[in-house]
Amino acid sequence: MTGAGGYDPHRLAGAYALDAMDDDLERLRFEEHLRTCDECAQEVRGLTETAARLGQAVAAEPPPGMRAAVLAEIGQVRQLPPTVGVPPGGRRLSRRGGAAWWPRVTAGLAAAGVAASVALGAVAVRTQDELERVRADDRGVVAVLAAPDARTVSATAGRGATGTAVVSRSQGRLVFVSSGLAALPPSQTYQLWRIAPGAIRSAGLLRPDDSGRVPPVIVDTAGVEQVGVTVEPAGGSAQPTTRPMLLLDLTSA
Amino acid sequence: MGRVARGDHAAFEEVYDQVAGQVYGLVLRVLRNPAQSEEVAQDVLVEVWRSAARYDPSKGSARAWVMTVAHRRAVDRVRSAQAAATREERVARLDVRRPFDEVADSVERTLDVERLRRCLNGLTELQRESVTFAYYEGYTYREVAELLKVPLATVKTRMRDGLIRMRDCLGVER
Repeated sequence: MTGAGGYDPHRLAGAYALDAMDDDLERLRFEEHLRTCDECAQEVRGLTETAARLGQAVAAEPPPGMRAAVLAEIGQVRQLPPTVGVPPGGRRLSRRGGAAWWPRVTAGLAAAGVAASVALGAVAVRTQDELERVRADDRGVVAVLAAPDARTVSATAGRGATGTAVVSRSQGRLVFVSSGLAALPPSQTYQLWRIAPGAIRSAGLLRPDDSGRVPPVIVDTAGVEQVGVTVEPAGGSAQPTTRPMLLLDLTSA
Repeated sequence: MGRVARGDHAAFEEVYDQVAGQVYGLVLRVLRNPAQSEEVAQDVLVEVWRSAARYDPSKGSARAWVMTVAHRRAVDRVRSAQAAATREERVARLDVRRPFDEVADSVERTLDVERLRRCLNGLTELQRESVTFAYYEGYTYREVAELLKVPLATVKTRMRDGLIRMRDCLGVER
């Protein structure tokens, strides 16, 4: 079975099970395919199990302090609930006996998060709940990421902050994701801007999670040449009041 | 894992004792750096605790789930450490070490490993290299193709049929 553009998902099961795909869009397509192809999901399951055997074979004695450190840490880590709840403001989607089990799926949907960290070489791992929220909130994210004309633009700021936009002209939208954003005092917030010639409009406030990541934001690209992130007073501003810490030029995308 | 999901610390300790060595060993194999590996392995194990309720036994064994999380984290660390520009360079200066030999040397004590070694030996050279460079070195199929000087499509196919042959040889349940 060969899909559009000669894309044959079936051939990718091995690379997928080995975490050897470096093209997040390709991976996302493969994961979409897995959700509808039971045979493929079953094959991936067996190959993932096989890959795990390769891992077991290289077991090594962990450093002596690790056990105590892990046990101490879990005392302070809240566990995820077992079921997919209705996300705040979201809607429950029925999910096909899904492949959400696989961390790769997790990482891929969250490639929803970071389709293009490829370009940065930094693939963020997102947690399952974030991804599920992403999925439930808006399949539009996937539509942009999987669009044949999706292009990636990235920028970095000091201390590891990165912003990535996956732009699809055919969809007229982009997906903006960011990671490495330092926590701000309560009096400040990050704000995303759509920048068109002569007009700057807010594209919303960004609320990084504890690990500095921001869930994907969909932005309308009509007339927009750049997107930028600034630090603003809590609640946001009508117009940017500080220099953008991240600025992404879309004109080449 | 069910008990772990319900917040049972004692159950988690049991799981820890069963998988910690495998998690750490795999991460170390991919990253090479013991300090980094300890940090990543620790994250992986905490993630197992955190996400235990999301583990679905119908989708595979708990061990495979844990190992997949571990591999994924290790590979992410390798790739994030390599800026896009330096990745090509990395491929260019790859030594021609054969990861499989190294692995076999370090662990051939146990029967399981002996069996794994035998199964790996049953692969064609290209299958074996495609699978082991990807898994143990964290290379993408593009990097493997570059390294082995074979077309991308060939590498994808060898990864798949190599793993299928391994699966059948190891008798992994489907």
